[in-house]
Amino acid sequence: MSLARRMLLASILLALLVAGAFAALMFAVSTLRDANEREAHSKDVTAATLQLEKLVVDMETGLRGFTLTGNKGALQPYTAARGELPQRLRVFVGRAFAEPDQGRRAALISQMIGQYVRGYAIPVIELVHESPAAARSAPVTLEGKRQTDEIRARFDRFLAEENELAREAASSAGSRSDQALAVGAVGVVASSVLIVLFGVLLGRAVGRPVRAVASGANRLAGGELSHRLPTEGPGEIGELTRSFNAMAEEVQRGHDELELRNAKLRESERLKSELITIVSHELRTPLASVLGFTSLLLQRDFDPQARRHYLGIVDAQARRLAALLEDFLDVQRIEDGRLELAQEAVDIALVLDEQAELYRAQSPKHRLLLELPERPLTVRGDSNRLAQVVGNLLSNAIKYSPEGGVVALAGGTGDGAVRVSVRDEGLGIASDQQSRIFTKFFRGEAGASGIGGTGLGLAVSREIVEAHGGRIGFSSKVGAGSTFWLELPFAGAPAVKSSEQGRSGTERKETQP
Amino acid sequence: MSSAAARPTILVCDDEPSLRELVRAVLGEDYVYAEAADGRAALTLARDVEPDLVVLDLMLPIVSGIDVLEQLRRDERLAEVPVIVITAWSHAEASAWTAGADRFVSKPFEPDELIAAVEELLDRGVGSTEPPKSGGAGSAGAGAGL
Repeated sequence: MSLARRMLLASILLALLVAGAFAALMFAVSTLRDANEREAHSKDVTAATLQLEKLVVDMETGLRGFTLTGNKGALQPYTAARGELPQRLRVFVGRAFAEPDQGRRAALISQMIGQYVRGYAIPVIELVHESPAAARSAPVTLEGKRQTDEIRARFDRFLAEENELAREAASSAGSRSDQALAVGAVGVVASSVLIVLFGVLLGRAVGRPVRAVASGANRLAGGELSHRLPTEGPGEIGELTRSFNAMAEEVQRGHDELELRNAKLRESERLKSELITIVSHELRTPLASVLGFTSLLLQRDFDPQARRHYLGIVDAQARRLAALLEDFLDVQRIEDGRLELAQEAVDIALVLDEQAELYRAQSPKHRLLLELPERPLTVRGDSNRLAQVVGNLLSNAIKYSPEGGVVALAGGTGDGAVRVSVRDEGLGIASDQQSRIFTKFFRGEAGASGIGGTGLGLAVSREIVEAHGGRIGFSSKVGAGSTFWLELPFAGAPAVKSSEQGRSGTERKETQP
Repeated sequence: MSSAAARPTILVCDDEPSLRELVRAVLGEDYVYAEAADGRAALTLARDVEPDLVVLDLMLPIVSGIDVLEQLRRDERLAEVPVIVITAWSHAEASAWTAGADRFVSKPFEPDELIAAVEELLDRGVGSTEPPKSGGAGSAGAGAGL
């Protein structure tokens, strides 16, 4: 869930909590107000009751005095109370009816008072006029007393009830408002705590990752490009750290790319200066012969034999220059992807034969051995280019071998491949240089030990072999010599093989010695 | 030939046969030549032959030309032999002088340039007050070398 949604949810919950606490407090206040009203009402009811009771007492007192004295003046309290009575009754009953039970009691009391007035007081007054003695008799007076006593007893019960009701109402209102106050207080405290907690959590949820991102950005800016942030974290925070990491990734990638490009540039710069050195040396050596001998030939008169000999040297050195140029062009072609290969059936055995012959003639001081099976080693490809590869390997083997050293050239088949190997007993290649041997312009110790060459032969050879779908490799030991080998996909047609086998085998035997 | 014994011996050190031949062709029949194709052979031959002059390529197999030059200068019999350094490594000139070269000729060179250098150095040797070295030892060495 996203941080914004979490915050919204938390805010809503907090708002509900605050609203709940407020409602509880409101409830407490309104309960207390109701209790006050109830108390006031109870006082009103009590007051109305006491006033009514006083009227009843006044009426009984007036009536009693009148019956005893017969004096009309004595009846005055009764008359006054009797006048006031209807209104007081209405007030009493009206107020009492707020409580149904009290209302019923008040109605009974009101009925009993009515009964007393109509059924006792009025007849007694008439009786005083007719027979004062009868009116003064005990039964009559006792009846009045009995009735008023009963009314007053009702009043007492009524008041007691009223008091009880008021007390109950007050006590329940008190406990309810206490509860409400407690709930409200707890709610207020809880929401205060939660608001503080929410603030702290929000600070952590936002502040901490923001600080982490800021410090991460600083470290990144300080060059610590591999620095990453932990990606856990809800919603936007996770998004922020992921974005940060993606940015760091991008920065690092860009940086690495630049670094790589820089390294490549430096390497190509180094290769270029190396190339210039090599070219200047490799070109100068044959050029020195060509220019030196032509100068001599132009300046002096040599006998025809010597002249022919010197011209032969000039020719050979000029060809060497041409071959060198061809090597450079090959490298250029390979780099531009313009190396074009013929697609023809080539018998590698013939190629090996020709090259062995060529190098035997060029380096009579080395012992060049050739070993071939009695069947054609057919591959598909460019015979000139493949001859160039074999020539390179032979030339290297001779160049890095002492005079009189053995160079063994062999061809064969196996695992669907034609395999060629060139073994020498020369200097060998130091193990720390073996991985770079196919790198162009790399010449190992050759430069320092004064062995000529451009460092292009193996690089070009590998390109040619790989363009034929083959592999090239070597094994070497310092001081013991090297064996370079190459494998090309065998393309010999099985049907033709048997018929050609004998023929080409004998042919080769003729050319081999 | 009666003059054969008087001909100065020149040690030509270069791994490139055509360049050794060029030096011989340029300097002609007036000298006796000893040839070496690598640095070790050059040192051995120099001690055997005690040449009157050395033409030295710097880029030699096995022992480099600079090392050959330094060892010649440390050898009491060969320390004074004039050495012409002849190389395609034009940037090696400074180290050649330091190692004790008398002349520096860069490849490719004009025939006259080499001839002039050789004659100058040998004339100086002949004209100097050390006839035993260039004359006696040289001719004796030449005989042994060939």
